[in-house]
Amino acid sequence: MVTESASEFETQDLLLNVGPQHPSTHGVFRMVMQVDGEVVRDIIPYIGYLHRGAEKLCETMDYRQGIGFMDRTEYLAAMNAELSYVMAVETLAELEVPERAQWIRMILVELNRLASHLMFMGAFGIDVGVFGTPFIYAWREREAIIDLFEEISGDRMMYAYLRPGGLAWDVPTNFVSRVREVLTAVRQGIADFDGLLTKNEIFIARTKGIGVISAADAIDFGMSGPSIRASGVPLDVRREEPYLKYNDINWNVITRTEGDVYARYLCRLDEMHESVKIVEQCLERLQPGAIMPEKMPRMLRTPPGEIYVRTEAPRGEFGVYLVSKGGNRPHRLKVRSACLSNLQALKHMSVGSYVADAIIVLGSIDIVLSEVDR
Amino acid sequence: MTSEETNDSAPALTLDGTIWAEVDRALSGITATAERGVLDVIVHVPPAEIVRALKALKTDATLNFDYLRSLTAVDNEDDGIDVVYHLYSTTAKHNLTVKATLANDNLFIDTATTVWRAANWLERETAEMFGVRFNGHPDPRTLLMPEDMDDTFPLRKDHPLAEIEVLQGEGMGYSEEGQ
Repeated sequence: MVTESASEFETQDLLLNVGPQHPSTHGVFRMVMQVDGEVVRDIIPYIGYLHRGAEKLCETMDYRQGIGFMDRTEYLAAMNAELSYVMAVETLAELEVPERAQWIRMILVELNRLASHLMFMGAFGIDVGVFGTPFIYAWREREAIIDLFEEISGDRMMYAYLRPGGLAWDVPTNFVSRVREVLTAVRQGIADFDGLLTKNEIFIARTKGIGVISAADAIDFGMSGPSIRASGVPLDVRREEPYLKYNDINWNVITRTEGDVYARYLCRLDEMHESVKIVEQCLERLQPGAIMPEKMPRMLRTPPGEIYVRTEAPRGEFGVYLVSKGGNRPHRLKVRSACLSNLQALKHMSVGSYVADAIIVLGSIDIVLSEVDR
Repeated sequence: MTSEETNDSAPALTLDGTIWAEVDRALSGITATAERGVLDVIVHVPPAEIVRALKALKTDATLNFDYLRSLTAVDNEDDGIDVVYHLYSTTAKHNLTVKATLANDNLFIDTATTVWRAANWLERETAEMFGVRFNGHPDPRTLLMPEDMDDTFPLRKDHPLAEIEVLQGEGMGYSEEGQ
């Protein structure tokens, strides 16, 4: 337990184990902290507890079966994960996605982003030490979104609703009015969080100036999502390489310049407003029509080739690298996890801070260990 | 993705209008070849020159590939293992895929951690999954796999997809009856 002496005063650094099963680690994540009193000197993260070999399993299964593994990889934003995967397959197979399917996809991924950010707000509240209130508030609105997804797909988390080429089936007839209901609830939820946390003195004291990372470092570590946008880098795949219909509607990329934990929180909060805006515009543009291409092959095959498709998931860039040698299954499928790259910067962001702050820095990355380990 | 180049299904794709001309200039002195991928240009670089090439791509003023999106490998069985780098420029906003093909009897390549810190964990994962050795890696431990799993490379094509009991029954090695 006790290691080298660190200074002339003969204080000794202590190795402190956190996790793998600890509420602050958001899943099964373990880190060994070398602490000098309350100050973190070094962090050694250990991951892999949730490794299930999804990439290998996808190589042995039909393209449509792979969708389920994407849900289980990124279970808090399963729609976004499915989107990258089906886009990789359909681009390689040269399938044209009908307009209606694209608008519905966009509504679903943005709603999923809202659900995921709500989850962050709740869990982060706990990390900071306000147990209870924000968590339950977050659950209330997230539940509305999950209920809607259940009505559409039949499942609360593992939707498997997107298909290469379009959607599994059309949305229920009351879809538009239901989405509007959910948006009303979510808008109220965002306002509640704004009131509860944003100007909360204790919350600000705990998060401002903590875990700062500069823009250059964030780029070098390959960070993405709100974690890099909070450092002033306007990196958003939706804007830089628009997919679906992101080019046809009005929305803003949210950035902050401070690069600290508070900025990452504010980024997510403002992004939720943008997501609501996006969904509202999508609802206005949604027209009846087909949800799958007219000529869908019974067995989905791709020509030989490779593609790296990236989309903006709530936690950052969710990439799918698909190598095909022809046939109905991938030769290689790699999932680029946003959290893995963001987590790499944890040590950089927390060394020199207090132990309690390191926990908040970890929370501010909003990790999903299932996505990190795959 | 509905941009024009994705619909281009002509068999011999030209590299006109892509960033290949710029890349070729930045990689002067390195024998690189290019092909057109579905979305991004794919550049093949000899493994011995990979770090020189990546550094050139990163430091070139117009290309400025400062962001490593992803780093992984593909097992092509008899044709060796490809190490694949997906690069992006946050300023110039363009993409590039870089590939280095390693022969099966020489799975060594220099580490890219000196170019981007992002490569650290990605290389650790590639090493344990494919048995690629990254020379000069600062932290060559396993990432997702147990520490004692050093001769088993799960993402290789010759690794069976077997029941957990089969794998663990052989003390983390894998039995031939698997699959």
